[in-house]
Amino acid sequence: MPAYWTVTPQAPGNTPGAFVLARQDGAEYHLSLTPNLSMGPVGFARVILISAGFLALPLIGVLGTPVLWGLLPFAGLALWALWYALMRNSRERMALREDLRLTRERIEITRTNPRAPPQTWDANPYWVRLCLTEKGALVENYLTLEGSGRTVELGSFLSPEERATLYDDLSRALRHLR
Amino acid sequence: MADAATHDHGHEDTRSFFTRWFMSTNHKDIGILYLFTAGIVGFIAVAFSVYMRLELMEPGVQYMCMEGASLRAQEECTPNGHIWNVLVTAHGILMMFFVLIPALFGGFGNYFMPLHIGAPDMAFPRLNNLSYWLFVAGSALAVASVLAPGGNGQMGSGVGWVLYPPLSTREAGFSLDLAIFAVHVSGASSILGAINIITTFLNMRAPGMTLFKVPLFAWSVFITAWMILLALPVLAGAITMLLTDRNFGTTFFDPAGGGDPVLYQHILWFFGHPEVYIIILPGFGIISHIIATFSRKPVFGYLPMVWAMIAIAALGFIVWAHHMYTVGMSLTQQTYFMLATMTIAVPTGIKIFSWIATMWKGSVSFETPMLWAFGFLFLFTVGGVTGIVLSQAPIDRIYHDTYYVVAHFHYVMSLGAVFALFAGIYYWMGKMSGRQYPEWAGKLHFWMMFIGANITFFPQHFLGRQGMPRRYIDYPEAYALWNYISSIGAFISFASFLFFIGIVFYTLRYGARVTEKNYWNEHADTLEWTLPSPPPEHTFEQLPKREDWDKQPAH
Repeated sequence: MPAYWTVTPQAPGNTPGAFVLARQDGAEYHLSLTPNLSMGPVGFARVILISAGFLALPLIGVLGTPVLWGLLPFAGLALWALWYALMRNSRERMALREDLRLTRERIEITRTNPRAPPQTWDANPYWVRLCLTEKGALVENYLTLEGSGRTVELGSFLSPEERATLYDDLSRALRHLR
Repeated sequence: MADAATHDHGHEDTRSFFTRWFMSTNHKDIGILYLFTAGIVGFIAVAFSVYMRLELMEPGVQYMCMEGASLRAQEECTPNGHIWNVLVTAHGILMMFFVLIPALFGGFGNYFMPLHIGAPDMAFPRLNNLSYWLFVAGSALAVASVLAPGGNGQMGSGVGWVLYPPLSTREAGFSLDLAIFAVHVSGASSILGAINIITTFLNMRAPGMTLFKVPLFAWSVFITAWMILLALPVLAGAITMLLTDRNFGTTFFDPAGGGDPVLYQHILWFFGHPEVYIIILPGFGIISHIIATFSRKPVFGYLPMVWAMIAIAALGFIVWAHHMYTVGMSLTQQTYFMLATMTIAVPTGIKIFSWIATMWKGSVSFETPMLWAFGFLFLFTVGGVTGIVLSQAPIDRIYHDTYYVVAHFHYVMSLGAVFALFAGIYYWMGKMSGRQYPEWAGKLHFWMMFIGANITFFPQHFLGRQGMPRRYIDYPEAYALWNYISSIGAFISFASFLFFIGIVFYTLRYGARVTEKNYWNEHADTLEWTLPSPPPEHTFEQLPKREDWDKQPAH
């Protein structure tokens, strides 16, 4: 799941946000949510390497003839175009993200948009209501937070299962800090 | 912060006809555009071939005369070989670049690959639109080249689709330059489309869908995209050098200036052999789904099926010179290319046997798509077996440039790829249009085409064995019988094609409405079957649930 929790200092128990009775005054939760990207940097490197290898195959054959100079630009162009397309798509998809910072005093969400200014929301976590609407909302397992007079959504780009998990984690974290 | 929305603000389709079809960035609409455009170009290319069969029906030249080409046999006729050569060339170029790739890869690939992986659209929707219009522009250029001033003081150029120098560098007029531009533009279109598909496939699969859980059709399109990306730049380079040889006095392929015409053949076939797999691979994907659906069993050996496609693609790049055994290669080179070529039979065999194993003890029923899939399986295997025959360098000495080769590649292309194309059309027509074709009509189309195409091409094996060379307008009396029969078959196939056009228009206007999401059975288990027919404008803007696609026991 493209959701990364970091907790400082490490809350007791091995899962972040584990329920504890003890007050954790200094605890601070960080959560970043990014859309699903099915290929990582290793995959990218493999794709480029394999493409370059096969593109080199005809070029090796014409080494030493003028025909090399006729083929090389097109092979280079194709490889560059693949590289650029993969990079650009990953960048554009990753431009959308949501960051959540949660302490005992404050909950803040920043949503970074690809083509619009970032949006922010903050509230006091004690009064925040976390809600998971399973059916009938905009998306299945719609995850919303209500506080400071506004209702905001979280992780609408995740899959329904991921939002359900996120709901559990987040409610545990909220309970922990109350 | 994005405020929560309590209800969906509906996605009614408010686009006007012009916006929807001319400025489309929607992968489903672009897929349909590709299919229809390829159909129109296909009609032109088929018409050319029927006219050629008409001419070949009787010995002597009756239709393509210096006095003028006509559809009625002429009494006074001076043979006009140029028209013949132009038609052969145009038929090849149109079918290779403007019909089969756009229909299977552009059409079905665009429409169904993103659906199969649960992606909302292609990675670059506007680039997708550009790919489509480049394809249209390329088709227009290709047709224009037939009508532009060419060699022998006539229209069009008749050098064969492979554009071998010195024939291609010496053809007069600018018709051949237009043909080269046509291939350039279609190549650019295919490469951009391929990059789009590769990016979509790699970055946008649904969460949890690892590479070896992707449905076979999406895999086949992905591998095809990769082959296009690696093979077409080579072709683009080769024909650019032809262009400069023709127009700017370079001598890349002219021995007089130190060039090498045989090197052109090597480069051309380095592209040309992967090209035939580019055409057939999406067909493999379609057939896998259809056979699994109508055998009511999951496809046999998912993982070997994927690896066989990868192996076919990889081997496809290292066997090119079997198209040119007669150019004077060393014995060692010929031996290598012979062995490498025969190796391709192994992964292809894995696929054929896995399809048969899928049907084994399945509950097979013969709806129209399954009939086409069966036809594909049988005819592609026949074409594959004659391929093994032709892969033998010594035997190829005899068969080279005879009708045996024509029969072979039409069995894999015209009967293999085209049957897969029709199988896909009947399998998904209800999904794409929301209306279902009349079952009897689909079956009649199949039987007409199956019988017609076999009568057309099977006798060509005999002609090849008798020694009839390809690419000639006329032939001696001795070849008359099988040529006559072959032409009859071509007319039957053409009639079936006209009937098919009728089926499509009938279905789109009057076909029975499809109400179910999955109108076949639960073994049609890819994600498009969880959507209404036709699917709404926007699909999978929310990620699909895992249980909707993760059904294969092999996972």
